[in-house]
Amino acid sequence: MNRRALLRPAVRSAIALTLAFATLLTQPGTASATVYAQIEGTGSTWSELIVQQWIADVDANGMKVVYTGGGSSKGRKDFSQNSTDFAISEIPYQGTDETGQADTSNGREFAYLPIVAGGTAFTYQLKIGNDLVRNLRLSGETIAKIFTNQITNWNDAAITADNNGRTFPSLPITPVVRSDGSGTTAQFTTWLDSEFPSIWRPFFGGSGLTSYYPKESGSRAIGQAGSDQVMNTISGFAGNGTIGYVEYSYPVNKDYPVVKVLNKSGYFVEPTQYNVAVALTKAKINQDKGSALYLTQILDGVYRNTDARAYPISSYSYMVIPTGADDPRMTTAKRQTIADFLYYSLCAGQTKAGPYGYSPLPLNLVQAGFEQIALLQQADSAVDLTDRDVRSCNNPTFDGKNLNKNQLAAIAPAPAACDKQGEGPCGTETGNNEPSTDGSGGGTTPDGGETGAGGASPAGGGAGSGAAGAGSGAPGGSAPPPVVDPATGAVVGGTSTGAATGDAIYANPTELAADRALDTRTFGWLAALLAVGLVVMPGFYAASLPRRRKPGTVR
Amino acid sequence: MANVRPRKISRKATGGDAVFENGARAVGASVLLITGGVGVFLAWQAYPTLERYGWSFFTESQWQPDQDVIGIAAVLVGTFSVAMVAMAFAVPLSILMALYISEYAPARFRSSLVALIDLMAAVPSIVYGLWGFFLIMPYAAELALWLQRYLGWIPIFDVANTDPNAAVWDTTRYVASAFCAGIAVAMMVMPMACAVMRQVFSQTPDGEKEAALALGATRWGMVTSVVLPFGRGGIIGGTMLGLGRALGETIAVVLIVSPAFEIKPRILEVGTTTVSSLIAGRFGEASSSQLSALLAAGFVLFVITLLVNTVASVVVNRSRSGAGTDA
Repeated sequence: MNRRALLRPAVRSAIALTLAFATLLTQPGTASATVYAQIEGTGSTWSELIVQQWIADVDANGMKVVYTGGGSSKGRKDFSQNSTDFAISEIPYQGTDETGQADTSNGREFAYLPIVAGGTAFTYQLKIGNDLVRNLRLSGETIAKIFTNQITNWNDAAITADNNGRTFPSLPITPVVRSDGSGTTAQFTTWLDSEFPSIWRPFFGGSGLTSYYPKESGSRAIGQAGSDQVMNTISGFAGNGTIGYVEYSYPVNKDYPVVKVLNKSGYFVEPTQYNVAVALTKAKINQDKGSALYLTQILDGVYRNTDARAYPISSYSYMVIPTGADDPRMTTAKRQTIADFLYYSLCAGQTKAGPYGYSPLPLNLVQAGFEQIALLQQADSAVDLTDRDVRSCNNPTFDGKNLNKNQLAAIAPAPAACDKQGEGPCGTETGNNEPSTDGSGGGTTPDGGETGAGGASPAGGGAGSGAAGAGSGAPGGSAPPPVVDPATGAVVGGTSTGAATGDAIYANPTELAADRALDTRTFGWLAALLAVGLVVMPGFYAASLPRRRKPGTVR
Repeated sequence: MANVRPRKISRKATGGDAVFENGARAVGASVLLITGGVGVFLAWQAYPTLERYGWSFFTESQWQPDQDVIGIAAVLVGTFSVAMVAMAFAVPLSILMALYISEYAPARFRSSLVALIDLMAAVPSIVYGLWGFFLIMPYAAELALWLQRYLGWIPIFDVANTDPNAAVWDTTRYVASAFCAGIAVAMMVMPMACAVMRQVFSQTPDGEKEAALALGATRWGMVTSVVLPFGRGGIIGGTMLGLGRALGETIAVVLIVSPAFEIKPRILEVGTTTVSSLIAGRFGEASSSQLSALLAAGFVLFVITLLVNTVASVVVNRSRSGAGTDA
């Protein structure tokens, strides 16, 4: 009895071990026998939504990953202080910034590895009557001027010009910016500094990027911490007139519109997975394996990509993983968890990128990412990385045959003709993760090639430009005249009742002088004076009357 | 026999008494030690910042660590404006509530009312923050608009660069303000202030209350002539204790306000910041010198809170003697 009781656990563990080996031999990598340990990370809120989705996906495989946003700056900081196992950041460690503050990993060995691509979108709330404008278009210069407080009203001529003559109500613009150290801010300001230095640098008071958006005191800009807070502020009840920058997934998640941004070939495009993938074919990736910045991005080519389908402010997001053999936080189990989590993220996880408002990584970056994961094995030979082939990944950018081809960029539809500068605007909605195109735009670039090529000329894009304008993109003038409330000057909504119609809201609002502040004040004071007079005058009158009391009267 | 002498009379504790006495003394001292330790730690950490920036740390309003400009002028103004709004809501509420509980409420409801108020104190700060952000802010914004429209000529109710009579009111200007945060903080301060006040009101000598009633006073007359003068110290003390807490409220404020580093008396206008919300918001990404700056701000808050609480406890202690009734 006693002996059997002793034996039983031994037998059981022997069986378990055999089973474990069996699974290990048949299905390495996905095996339940792999020992995992919980890993924790902090960082970017730009890529947080997709990372949280991946975390939920791998949870079933026994991998426990905890990720908290808080901004890229916090992510890099936490990683350098050994308080996290990984970090996610849009920008690499900056070394030392201009004031001599250190931004390094504090000696902790690490490697960068791209995890997902995406577009920094400009989401806004702008209402005409009670209807949300959903097809706003802006050029880069207008955006730069809005965020540097040079354009402060939605009826500004520059905005009207970007929208082909369509006027918006007179409403002050309230930019919503990040108040914490943010990679989104860094991406946005990198773009500003590269493309509009004459607007950005005087405002910033320096050159280059910053993680902390400089908020001028006295300006209308509102600061909020974290992408979700920015999104909440814009979509909140008090958001009318606001515009802010977040990753495209946030507005997609909230079903909120985004600005179509003008690219170099004169089209206004939305940061869908296609447009981002096309733009990033021009990203310069640091290929020097000896460099500390190996695999990091130089995006000037992306900003100036001449493809009609390219979304200018596209970028990659990076994970920072610890590669030191004697890393104080790492164990074999933790390394294995990081490796397998990343394997899932870079491989199967990329199929989710598009639907969630991101864009999948191209093959060459996934391959490079795998090589970076291999550094974990170099640090600890017990980490199991067998049977991991890039080609078996179900990544939408992969073409089974040509490794250098970005399939997603090749099939990206050409923009609709009404999205061209001086045409339209298109009535189609933004922020719903659907490309704005005229019918089938695929196959515009017959054999693609790494660069995706600028072959998608407007004429080549399937349907002719004339047909496109008919359905949705009626110019402002031909729309039925808006109903304007005579008392307030506000446009009464109601012409376009449902979002399903796809029609844009058109209005040419006029401000009526129904209420002049000066009148109110003047008559207000007059009324107050009269009221005081009414109360006080009888008293004075009574006091001024001669006393009639007879002398000698008993008091 | 001759050796028999009376036992030496000593007040020194012996045996178990001594153990207890010294133990209690040690525990009591540890409170002082911990509080003192916090102060010393903060001062130690704050020293490099104060040395580097000097007085400009108190006069500069911007907080831009990446441009080497750091100061807490705006932060302190924001801290006080949030606290003042909170007090403006909390003090009248807690006085009236304490009076109702101690003088008017039927005896059988009294204990449950007290329990409810204590429960309010037990609700976590973040719940009040969410409550303020999602439920209260829309109404607070409309109240703010109303205040600006009719009382905008008073500087604190002004909202810069916006027309309250515009066709489409500029909602963004009226949210995430010190006013909105103050309302949420008031709900957290109120139970504490109310508890102190209720305790002091309930100590009013019954004889004097009955005397007032016997002389023909109404109940309200009795309250104004006996309870309130007697409890004056309690009202002041409870207010000050509440103020001490309001100055340090963190998470609710972080959730509600939009950080802005401007010295502005316009409490209705969007954007402000407080010392504690600044620390909570910036702590995670701070480098060592920035951390020192944050701790310097924390040190200033520590000193202010210590002063406020000390004054409060002195006032409350003096009121215990019932000195108010002698006046």
